[in-house]
Amino acid sequence: MKVFPTGVKVAQGEVHIEKDICKGCGFCVSYCPMDVLEISTEFNAKGYHFPVVKNPGNCIDCGLCGMLCPDFAIWSTLKEKKEVVEL
Amino acid sequence: MVKNIEKSHPADCFLHADPVSSVWCPGCGIGTVINTFIQTVEKLNIDLNEICVVSGIGCTGKVAEYLKFKSFQVNDGEVIKYAAKVKSENSDSKVVVFSNNADFLVSGAEDFIETGKNDVNILVIHINNIIYTITEYRAIPTTPFMRASIDKDFELPFNIPHLAKSCGARYVARWTPLHAGWLIYSIIDAFYKKGFSVIEVISPCLMYYASNDRMADAAGRIKFYDTNSVIKHDESTENLDIRINNKIIIGKFVDKK
Repeated sequence: MKVFPTGVKVAQGEVHIEKDICKGCGFCVSYCPMDVLEISTEFNAKGYHFPVVKNPGNCIDCGLCGMLCPDFAIWSTLKEKKEVVEL
Repeated sequence: MVKNIEKSHPADCFLHADPVSSVWCPGCGIGTVINTFIQTVEKLNIDLNEICVVSGIGCTGKVAEYLKFKSFQVNDGEVIKYAAKVKSENSDSKVVVFSNNADFLVSGAEDFIETGKNDVNILVIHINNIIYTITEYRAIPTTPFMRASIDKDFELPFNIPHLAKSCGARYVARWTPLHAGWLIYSIIDAFYKKGFSVIEVISPCLMYYASNDRMADAAGRIKFYDTNSVIKHDESTENLDIRINNKIIIGKFVDKK
């Protein structure tokens, strides 16, 4: 994860996925800037591979996954702001 | 309107529950355009009863079924005419048209020109899927230049922003589904224009273009938007043809008061 200068707080987001209405297009996985998501090996009710959260701590609530999703199956919410530790 | 965004999607209150996620192909750009439109409406803080959505036939025509606003689904070729009529009857309403190539390029072009000349205050979001309906191998007004067709009939693809500008549109822009962030602000700008405004969204049809190697999967498809488009604001609309090996020029081209 990118380290910011001292005192900068990074938003901590949480990704919500409704796996049964996902169609597995992969837009969210291919364009997530923080590498939070990956395609699962399981199938959903329609037979598509839905995304799952790989690195939940990385999400910064940028909202790109929710903005690009054609099926309204994924969105992110703001959890809390976390302090970046000085190196 | 109470929303619990921890449990359900923030856009769910704008959508009918039944057709969600069962209409379009995986990764189709129409879904992204609707998502963008809903985010715009959330940002605008306007009365939802004022918005009226008109759509035509085909995949784009399903937009009207999908949204909870006042909506009309009309025959092909009558979309723009119908929207102008709705606007003239209800002067307070904000009329948004979702159209595709079959809706006005083929049979309703004269209504488009007339509405532009009269400067009726409607917003046309034209989803250009590069094909229309049944004709798979025949050249049509928006077929990309030099793409193989059975009748060896090569023409330049129809330039919709140039048509809109020459009809007197006050706001003309063109985006792709990848540029959803720009598209949001473009729709906001067009909402506040008191005149005819046209936004073209280039979203090639998945069914016909998935056989091409470059658009086989969604990741490759979104990469296609990324590598083949270039943002040039205020470009002259005469240069906006979509030719093969040339980049698709996107941006805001006309913005009159």
